[in-house]
Amino acid sequence: MPQDLTLILLLSFPLLGFAINGIFGKQLPKMVIGSIATVAVFASFLLATSLFSRLDGTTIVNLFNVLDFENLQINASFQIDALSIWMTLIITGVGSLIHLFSIGYMSHDEGFYKFFTYLNLFIFSMLILVLGSNYFVLFFGWEGVGMCSYLLISFHYNDAQKGIANSLAGRKAFIMNRIGDVGLLVALFMIIGQFNTLEYTKIGHLIESNKALTGGAMFFITLSLFIAATGKSAQIPLFSWLPDAMAGPTPVSALIHAATMVTAGIYLTVRSNFLFELAPFTQNIILYTGLATTLFAAFMALRQNDIKKVLAYSTVSQLGLMFVALGFGAYTVALFHVTTHAFFKALLFLGSGSVIHGMHEEQDIRKMGGLAKLMPITHFTFLIGTMAISGIPFLSGFFSKDEIMAQALHHNTFAYIVLVIAVTMTAVYMFRLYFLTFHGEFRGGDQLKSKVHESGPSMTLPLIILAILSIFGGLLNLPGLFFKNSAHWFDHFLSAGTFGLNHIHPVHLDFATSIQLMIFASIVALSVLIWAYLNYVKKGNIAKDDKDLNGWERLSAAKLFVDELYNVLIVNPILAISDFTGKIIDIKLLRNGVYALADGVLNSANISRKWQSGFLSSYLFWMVFGLIIFVAYYILKISVWH
Amino acid sequence: MALILLPLVFSLIAWLLPSAQTRLFGLIGTTINLFASLISVYGFDAQDQLFIDLGLRYVHFSLDSLSYTMIILTNAVFFMVYLSNFKQEITSKKRFSALAFLMQFGLIGVFSTNSILGFYIFWELTLLPIFLILYWFGSFEKPKALLQFFLYTLLGSLAMLLSVIGLLQLTNQQTYEALLAADLNAHGATSIWLMGGFLLAFAVKIPLFPFHTWQAETYTKAPTAGTMLLSAIMLKMALFGLLKWVLPIFDGVATEFWRWPIITLGLIGVVYGALIAIKQQDLKTIFAYASLSHLGLIAAALMLQNEITNQIAIVQIVNHSIVSIGLFLAAGIIESRLQTRDITQLGGIAKVAPRFAFWFAAITFVSLSVPFTAGFIGEFFLIKAIFNAHTLSGIIAATTLIFGAVYMLRAYQIPMFGPTKNSVFEDLSWSEILVFALLIIAAIYLGLSPKCLTDFVATSINQPTL
Repeated sequence: MPQDLTLILLLSFPLLGFAINGIFGKQLPKMVIGSIATVAVFASFLLATSLFSRLDGTTIVNLFNVLDFENLQINASFQIDALSIWMTLIITGVGSLIHLFSIGYMSHDEGFYKFFTYLNLFIFSMLILVLGSNYFVLFFGWEGVGMCSYLLISFHYNDAQKGIANSLAGRKAFIMNRIGDVGLLVALFMIIGQFNTLEYTKIGHLIESNKALTGGAMFFITLSLFIAATGKSAQIPLFSWLPDAMAGPTPVSALIHAATMVTAGIYLTVRSNFLFELAPFTQNIILYTGLATTLFAAFMALRQNDIKKVLAYSTVSQLGLMFVALGFGAYTVALFHVTTHAFFKALLFLGSGSVIHGMHEEQDIRKMGGLAKLMPITHFTFLIGTMAISGIPFLSGFFSKDEIMAQALHHNTFAYIVLVIAVTMTAVYMFRLYFLTFHGEFRGGDQLKSKVHESGPSMTLPLIILAILSIFGGLLNLPGLFFKNSAHWFDHFLSAGTFGLNHIHPVHLDFATSIQLMIFASIVALSVLIWAYLNYVKKGNIAKDDKDLNGWERLSAAKLFVDELYNVLIVNPILAISDFTGKIIDIKLLRNGVYALADGVLNSANISRKWQSGFLSSYLFWMVFGLIIFVAYYILKISVWH
Repeated sequence: MALILLPLVFSLIAWLLPSAQTRLFGLIGTTINLFASLISVYGFDAQDQLFIDLGLRYVHFSLDSLSYTMIILTNAVFFMVYLSNFKQEITSKKRFSALAFLMQFGLIGVFSTNSILGFYIFWELTLLPIFLILYWFGSFEKPKALLQFFLYTLLGSLAMLLSVIGLLQLTNQQTYEALLAADLNAHGATSIWLMGGFLLAFAVKIPLFPFHTWQAETYTKAPTAGTMLLSAIMLKMALFGLLKWVLPIFDGVATEFWRWPIITLGLIGVVYGALIAIKQQDLKTIFAYASLSHLGLIAAALMLQNEITNQIAIVQIVNHSIVSIGLFLAAGIIESRLQTRDITQLGGIAKVAPRFAFWFAAITFVSLSVPFTAGFIGEFFLIKAIFNAHTLSGIIAATTLIFGAVYMLRAYQIPMFGPTKNSVFEDLSWSEILVFALLIIAAIYLGLSPKCLTDFVATSINQPTL
């Protein structure tokens, strides 16, 4: 099958799934709906592997022309290269596992068919985002995934207690994303102004042939792109929607708010590498934003008690880590972490979903404990996810995180120190989460305990597959000290096959430093593991109530009061201005002004008493009469005049 | 010719027919009009210009692709209004049908006339029916509220009349082609004043800040069908007048003079309307201020007199008509079922009326300009045009993306998802679903293939026939 046909089919399957379930879903049995949606995504995955196996440089597939102006052509065209296909593999691969999981997880839900309809639409939009060959198509998908994210976060709008909270969380996500989207919009305008095209490869070639393009323009373009990235990828200051987004069903958190959509900002930056390379100042902004985000989010995760909230802050923190890599210009390193993170964070979220499912919708880890015996498969796979994200040696997270640490050590010692702190905190909150959930005594009461059950095969199978990927994902990009010759396969693969990246190579440390770095990281992770075991299992400490917290713990539990700060600084002033303009300026000043004028006109006329004595109909009569006279007189006058 | 005169004939028939048949006749009449325009455009080449002589001495007609676009839009809007209000009482009123057809006639006249005099006469002609519709079928408790709309309109019309007279005396020409050929730049300040007169009339009708205060009040007091007619098509006369008549004729000194003042007012409207919409409680008020915000953007972009932007502005005009009908239909549906539009009195409708929840959501997303809808293309290029002309203005215009999400999602979520306050809600009827479906299909079609519209209008916008 030729590449372009494969690509079109790859895009059509999720769209077809969306259409079938959207139109006929109500009439179909749940098993059929779930299968259609899952098979649609899995079919795309198979087609993506076929494209992957035949990758050869960059292929552009032009579907049709959207708009054609003299100096600007907007095409619905797509690009097959290492970066886009790699992202496609993640989206459809992890995506189909999460679809499979959802069949079990959502089996009791009334909105079953709607859920899979939205999920397929999301996959389609996300594929548009990563496969587009220009920024316009990207923007198309970018807005599309934002809409799907909104729909899926507020999915349980019917919930008796949390219904309105769920839909408000969706709205918050949508609005904060839109703030970022303004950045993207502005960036696109500037790119058109600068290059007269939105095609990645054309822009890249223009830059290659004209090295003089630096300075102000590039700074503003890349800064705007980065603002867009902070919205989608939940970086400071636009990160606070992601924890709230946990209001969505757990598979959504796994798919959209961990594995795929939130990495769109990283994809955007990697895709625009040739622009960022000309804007070192923006790269610094990215670096420090990433550092701050990874640190603060990890801190906030320390004292969260909602199993999903911990994972949400963890996601924000991990995304920050990826941006640190981008700040150093280490694009392949960032994408390596995107990949492993997609494995282990999807695993953790689905694991938490399995726990929540088994616990009958309980999400508070203070009510859990001892689940290891009750849910053995979930426990074992969650443990693997926890070890992977915490950087226990030789699991996937260990390698991908180590690459970022190596960049930091090479470029910027301060950054390295911050990362060590953040990474340590990551291990702390993850092991706290793990031990409190799966070990110790069950704290949810006997009645609940008797009902807790392990999840069915459609849920455990994806967990097992993701666990295997989380263990071995690091093999993709083994550092040089393991296999001298075939080391850094992923770096080479991406660099060779992605426009712009062939010029940029991440630094690889020498043998001795690498070893030291790894040993140090292993010691940190393992000591946290031992400490957490002693603290939470041996000593049996459990999470305290929020009101018993003091000092830093309280700050962490209250999420550094960021939401409150935004309310005071932004939301409330806007509402006050809205009140003021609506009530004072518009009504009191403008509308009543016109009223006063109307009164004045009517009163000043001699016949005003007669006018005022009448009813509205007399006003109207005179008004209409006057108009007719006007028109008639005018026509007459013109006719005579000519 | 039939295209122009049919609505007038229908208006007369509507007066004569017995009331019992009014409703069906209205629907059939608007359908015939719509098909007449579609058939007529089928044999029309976008490059052509069709002159029509009705034997009037001073009023001539000519149809180009822009006129056709606006006429089809008019006829589609009237059809939709009838379809969506088919179950409402208003469509069974003889007076309403007669007036509505008269208004349709006036609008088609405005969009197809070739002489400035005709433009003025038809412009005025559309006002009479809408006044009477508002008066007979609206719920204006205080005369002042209706009076406000009259005063504004009258002021605008008066200014335009003076400008038309001035223009005629200055050039001694009154056909479009002759006026284009006349060099008004030679008259300097006079041309500025003359253009100002037109702009005042348009500013009331678009509406532009601060000439908008009649809008929210009139929209809320008007019957839903009246609000739809006003918002979806009547106010588009002003944008059309700007695009086809005023900007090309006064191109030069006068447009230079007025460009930035109008853009400024348009952009103030974008932000001002959005800000106010955030905290309103009446659904129709929210949508009225949203309109102020959206139309300010189109007006500002038109002032840039850029060919591409003008083409996109047409897409956005059509999009706004789609959104207006959909949103006011949704507000009307809620009002007719629950006798209130106050969102603090509403909640939980989605649970009892899932079909309505779906279609209302769909039109909400169209108004948010999500991908696959016409607004996505429209907003992108209009904001881009403003951004290119003036960076900061472009960024201000872009805030509509953010604020739009704030007020539209609030307007949707509270009635639909909020704590249950309305446990009885009759779900959509077939005609309502049909309207929503047609609107969404149109929005998606234009969103995927804006080219079909931009290419069609390109010739009449790019090379005004001289």
